[in-house]
Amino acid sequence: MANAPVPQEDPEQLARFNARISAGDQLEAGEWMPQQYRFEAQRLIQMHANSEIMGALPEREWIPRAPTLARKMALTAKVQDEVGHGMLLYRVAETLGRPREEMYAELVEGRARFHNVFHYPAETWADVAIIQVFVDGAAMQTQGALRSCSYAPYSRVLKRICYEEDFHIQLGLDVWRALAEGTPAQRAMLQDALNRWWTPIIHFFGMPDKVSPHTEAMLAWRLKVKSNEELRQQFLRRFVPIILEYGLAVPDPGLRWVEAEQRYVYTEPDWEELKRVGRNGGPKSAERLALRQSFYRQHAWIREALGHRIAAAA
Amino acid sequence: MPAALATIADPAVRAAFREWLLRVADDELTIGHRHSEWTGVGPDIESDVAMSSIAQEELGHARLFYEQVAGDQPGGPDLLAFGRPPAEFRNAVLLEQPNHGWEFSIVRLALYETFEGQRLGLLARCGQEPVAAIAATLGREERYHGLFAATWLERMARPSADARARVQAALDAAWPYALGFFETTEADPILINAGLLHESAERQRDAWEAAVRPLLEGCGLAIPAAAPALGGRRGVHTPDLAQMHAEMTEVWGSDPEARW
Amino acid sequence: MSSPAIPAGSWVRALEAPADVWAVFLQARRRDAHVYVGDVHAPDAEMALLLAKENYARRDPCVSLWVVPARDIRATAEDAAEMFVPATDKSYRFGGSYRQQQRVYRGGYHTAPTEDDR
Repeated sequence: MANAPVPQEDPEQLARFNARISAGDQLEAGEWMPQQYRFEAQRLIQMHANSEIMGALPEREWIPRAPTLARKMALTAKVQDEVGHGMLLYRVAETLGRPREEMYAELVEGRARFHNVFHYPAETWADVAIIQVFVDGAAMQTQGALRSCSYAPYSRVLKRICYEEDFHIQLGLDVWRALAEGTPAQRAMLQDALNRWWTPIIHFFGMPDKVSPHTEAMLAWRLKVKSNEELRQQFLRRFVPIILEYGLAVPDPGLRWVEAEQRYVYTEPDWEELKRVGRNGGPKSAERLALRQSFYRQHAWIREALGHRIAAAA
Repeated sequence: MPAALATIADPAVRAAFREWLLRVADDELTIGHRHSEWTGVGPDIESDVAMSSIAQEELGHARLFYEQVAGDQPGGPDLLAFGRPPAEFRNAVLLEQPNHGWEFSIVRLALYETFEGQRLGLLARCGQEPVAAIAATLGREERYHGLFAATWLERMARPSADARARVQAALDAAWPYALGFFETTEADPILINAGLLHESAERQRDAWEAAVRPLLEGCGLAIPAAAPALGGRRGVHTPDLAQMHAEMTEVWGSDPEARW
Repeated sequence: MSSPAIPAGSWVRALEAPADVWAVFLQARRRDAHVYVGDVHAPDAEMALLLAKENYARRDPCVSLWVVPARDIRATAEDAAEMFVPATDKSYRFGGSYRQQQRVYRGGYHTAPTEDDR
C-alpha cells in the first residue's frame, strides 16, 4: 500500500490501523499512525494552510480600493477569515510534527506549494466577486468532502472553515449581483474576470485521477474522499447555473450538460499550465512570494523580540 | 437635515458641530484604511487577524459618524467618504501616513486610541442625540484597541536595546503629528461657548499626555520634545492623503452613480 | 513549573505542543461552561487572551476566555478509552432504567454542542 522507500511499520499495528480507518474511525493528534500516513496528512494540510495565507494576497489588493464602506469592511473581514483559516490549519499540520515557524519559512522561501488559483492576478474589482463565488466555491467542494477525512483535528477545522466560507459565498454573490445587474461597463468587467479565471478554476480540482498506488492509499486512508473529477462535476453543477441565471457566458464554449451521462463535458484544459503553476511558475508566483519574503524579513526583529519572552517564561 | 444637526438652531454652531463630526469620521476612516492594509501581512497570523478586526471597527465607526453628518442626503455616508477631495478632509495628518512598519502602526494605535477614548468621552457629554449615545457605546471597542496597542508596545520595546531603539524611532516620527489631534479651528471656541464641548484643546492635550506618558515611559521610551506638525484639521494634508484618496476612490470614482 | 516526567506506557500523556501554543477556552454566556475552541500561538498569557478574542470570538458570543499552555494539559492515553466504556449494568445510576443508560451512552443527553449543531 505504501510507496517505497518507507520505514517498515509493524505489520500487525499497520493492519489494525488500516482496519480502524476502514471502519470509519478518526484519529486524534498524538495517536499512533504509520509514517506514510503522517507524511501524507501533514503535506496535504500544510498545502491547505499555505493556500489560505497566499490566497489572502490577491484579494487584499482590493481592500484599499473597495468602492463602498460596506464593501470595504466586508472584504477586510473576508480576507481576515482566510488568514484565520491559515492559523487553524497550520496548527493542525503542527500536530503532525512540524513547527509552524518551519512551515511558514518554507512557504515564504518558495520551497512549498499552494493551490494554483492563488498564482493568478486579481486585475479588477470584479475579480473579487469571481474569487469569492467561484474560487471559494471550488474550495468548498474539496473542503466539504474532507470533513469526513480520517484525521479528526483536520475534520473539525474543516467544519468551521465550511461554516465561514458559506458567509463568503453569500457576500460574493451580493457583489456578483451588483455587477451583473449593473451598468454595461460593470457587466463587461464581470464577464472579463470570469473569462480570465475560468481555466484556473477548472484546473483547481486537479487532473482526472490516475489509478495509482498513491491514490488508492489516500482513498483507503480517507485523506482523499472524492475523486478530482467528482469534485469538479459537483462544482459545475452548482455554479454553472449561476452564470446562466445572470445571462453571462460560460467562458468555455465546449462546456455542455450531457443528460444521458448526468455530467458536464468541457474542453480539456492545458494540464501543463497547472504543472508549471504548481512549481511556483504562475504569473504572480514570484511577485507574491517576494512580497511575503519582504514582510517576513521586515518582521524578523519582532519575532526575535517576542521570542525572548517565550524563552524568559520557560 | 440630519437628526444630529437638526436640533441645533444656530447655523454657526451647527456648522461647527458638523465639522467636529467630520473630524471624527475622517480620523476613523483614514486610520481604518491604514490598519486594513495590514490584513494578510502582519507579523504573526493571530495579530494579523486581530488588527484586521480593529480596522473593520474603525471603518464601522467612520460610517456611523458619516451617517450622522449625511442624514437622509442622497449618497449617504459613502458620498462623504468617497466624494470629497482631500482638501475637505479634517483628519489629523498622523492618520493618513502609511504603515511605516508594525512598530509605527502600534505606536500610532497607542497614541490615537488614548486620544479617541477621551474624545468619545467628550462626545458622550455633548448633549446632542443620537451622537452622544453612539459615542457612549463605542468606548468598549476602543478599549480593546487600546489594550492591543499597549500589550504589543510593551513586548516590542522592552526585550532589547535594539528593539527599544526601533520603537523610539517610530515614536519620534509620530509624536509631532500626534499633537495635530488637538489642532483647533474657528469651530472649537464656538462649540465650547455653545456648551457642546466641555474641554479646551490645551486641557485635552494635557489629559492625553498624562495618559500616554506612563505607558510610553513604562516601556523605556522617551517622549520627544517636538513642535506640533499641524494642518489636518484645516484641510492641509500631505501627499500621503492624496495617495490614499486616489486609491480609495479608484473603483468608486469610475462610476459614482453605479451600485457596487 | 513543569510537571514530573511521564513514564513510558502510562495511561496519562501530555499534549505535545510547542512552548508558544496556548489552548483557548470560551464561555459563551454567563451560565455556560468554558469550552475548548482551539489554540493560538502567543508569547505569553496576556497576549494569548488578547489574540483569542479576535481569533475565536469574532462571530461567536463570548463573555469570558481562559488560556493555558497547551503543553501543560494532561490527557488520558488513546488506549485508556476502553476504561470509560461500561462493562456492566449501571442502571442504578439512571433511576433503575437500563434503557436510560443506553440512551445516554449513545449521546442522547449532555452531549456537548458541536459545530454541526450550527
